[in-house]
Amino acid sequence: MKRKLPLIIVLVTGIFGVLTYIIPHPIIQDTDAVFRNDILRVIGAFSIVLGIGSILRHHFIKIKRKAEHWGYSWITVVALFVSAIIGLFGGIDPTRPGLLPTQVGGFSFHIQSLFTGLIVPLGSTMFALLAFFMASAAYRAFRARNLEATLLLVSAFILMLGAVPLTRMIVRELPSFAEWILAVPNTAAKRGIGFGISLGILATSLKIILGIERGWLGGGE
Amino acid sequence: MNLATDPWVWVAAIMTLAVFSFLYKENPFYRAAEHLFVGVSNGYFITFTWHRVLVPSLIDPVGHGQKLWLILAAIVGALYFTRFIPKISWLVRIPIAIFLGYGSGMSLLRSVEAGIIAQVKATIVTRATFANWQAGLWALIILVGVVCTITYFFFSAERKGVLKPISYVGIIFVMVGFGASFGYTVMARISLFIGRLQFLLGDWLGLIR
Amino acid sequence: MAASGSAGRKGFWERLQRIDRRWIYLVIWLVVMVPLIKPFPIKPVASPPVQQMFSYIDSMPEDKALIISVDYSPDTQAELHPMTLALLRHAFATDRRVGLVATTVYGLGLGEDALREVKREFDSVATRHEDSVISGEDFIFWGWTTPLLTMMLGMGERITNVFPVDYYGARTESLPMTRHVKNYNDVGILVSVAGSSMPISWVAYAQTQFGLRIGCGTTAVSAADYYTYLNSGQFTGMLAGMRGAAEYEQLTREKMDRLGMTWRVRNRGTEAMSSQTAAHIAIILFIVVGNIGYFATRRRKS
Repeated sequence: MKRKLPLIIVLVTGIFGVLTYIIPHPIIQDTDAVFRNDILRVIGAFSIVLGIGSILRHHFIKIKRKAEHWGYSWITVVALFVSAIIGLFGGIDPTRPGLLPTQVGGFSFHIQSLFTGLIVPLGSTMFALLAFFMASAAYRAFRARNLEATLLLVSAFILMLGAVPLTRMIVRELPSFAEWILAVPNTAAKRGIGFGISLGILATSLKIILGIERGWLGGGE
Repeated sequence: MNLATDPWVWVAAIMTLAVFSFLYKENPFYRAAEHLFVGVSNGYFITFTWHRVLVPSLIDPVGHGQKLWLILAAIVGALYFTRFIPKISWLVRIPIAIFLGYGSGMSLLRSVEAGIIAQVKATIVTRATFANWQAGLWALIILVGVVCTITYFFFSAERKGVLKPISYVGIIFVMVGFGASFGYTVMARISLFIGRLQFLLGDWLGLIR
Repeated sequence: MAASGSAGRKGFWERLQRIDRRWIYLVIWLVVMVPLIKPFPIKPVASPPVQQMFSYIDSMPEDKALIISVDYSPDTQAELHPMTLALLRHAFATDRRVGLVATTVYGLGLGEDALREVKREFDSVATRHEDSVISGEDFIFWGWTTPLLTMMLGMGERITNVFPVDYYGARTESLPMTRHVKNYNDVGILVSVAGSSMPISWVAYAQTQFGLRIGCGTTAVSAADYYTYLNSGQFTGMLAGMRGAAEYEQLTREKMDRLGMTWRVRNRGTEAMSSQTAAHIAIILFIVVGNIGYFATRRRKS
């Protein structure tokens, strides 16, 4: 029951998903529209519970056990609740305030302000660190040890130089050559690899629907 | 210099510097910024899931006495909570199964259509391809490159005889392709850093004219 | 004398191989920062994929809308946000109806930010009500919903079923633009500005099933992989990374100048090109110096 029921559901919904593409009959299409627009949306919205629940549980356990750096977990928990309260009760449109006032004098702590003032700088700076790690790796790890590696580096150099406007002034044909590399040999290689990926998706989808791939059931009964 | 007067710009600048401090070494400012990011971004997620999904799709219609059967969908959705109740945690597999099955079924033929059939069509070379000799030549190179690349990744037969030179040509195409990806990755990573400096130097310090 | 010179050189290359990573970080910081403050004059020239997208949007039938799918989050916004801004400017300058959707929840805040910025630019120079950019008439910010399939397939049937209210909470059925844009039949092109594989999903669902034309704005990391979709015609044009954004900004700037819209805007993609150039040269030098050091020390060891 605990494993069979989910496997039956996967089989039935999987076959239904396939049918929606090959049978244009209104019964199938209308059922699909209701399933997709109403049922799935409501069920999908609840999936947030998994993410938020896991984060809170992780941090509460850290706090309870006083694990390393446990004090920082309070920052996550408090920030999560405070921003959720501001968003839930302060409304989305600043011109139509919600129950909770989100303006004190000239200072707004509306959810969009939290987004532009905290989420954007924090998220984008964390990824900006990659520029430095990449530069360090380029210096230490990229070696032209053989013909293949040399080809990779030469191709990369042409792309890097061809991608910026200044090089057009030095070698007029360089951007066109870089574009040719992307449009011809690169396309050929990526298409060959892409066929493998698409076939992989096809095989995995079939294995899931037919119950051969069961990793998603997790451990236990 | 034309310093920003908006307090949120100052907050964003302090957050940016706190994260960049990691480049020197790991430190409490970075850790605090990291934890703050996780908290606020999830609070934002909760906000919009409530206001823009649950309210218009469930609360409003059911509240007006329409589509009452949506309550059943909500009950199935609520099974996600069982993930945190050990005795009945297996029930979480039901909503997951619905999504996984339907998603796999939906993607099955559509992925084949988009990722295989359309791509094969674009690879085939016909007489019409050579209406413009240059385009025809490039199409021919693509065809050769695709065949050689697939041969290189074909591991079911030993690479000898005719397969050996074909797969060698394949690795040349693959290396040029990976080089292109690497060159563009450098561009991407640098762009992310430029974006932050544009903020610090432009929006915050007013040094960019 | 010769021996000591050789030992000195050996020491130099070996030391250079083991240099502290923070010196490399400092060089990158300076190489990017200096040209931002003191840029050298650069005029981006549109590559064929950028020109293709611009030309299509510029010449598509007037009754067709442009949909921009804000499929990125703050992590890649430096590269992608300038594209959204340039697309919005181009659309509003040429009186196209615009629909905005987001396939990630964080795309909502970025979409709102882009709309607010471009709307303010146009409104600040508008002398008549019709010249300003009006929500519900010139654009609708439909927003975000979950799951992905609901959005991508449902919008092909009826957009108001998927988005009963827009981002700001207004009933979409009551908005004037809804009379003209009901589903994909009324859409000229959907441009997916994405830091993930979302453009491929748009092709697999919206294009395969409804024949919707898809354009792609992508991070440079993914761009090389997407040339296969450009070659097959599944993408109508592509903007690759900050460079793609700069090229689209340039085309939009020229178009707006021709239309007499000469107000100054901050084109962040173009602004970044001096730093981008300097950084690329620096990375190439890093690789070259790293290789010289590697081969010099290896030869001595062997």
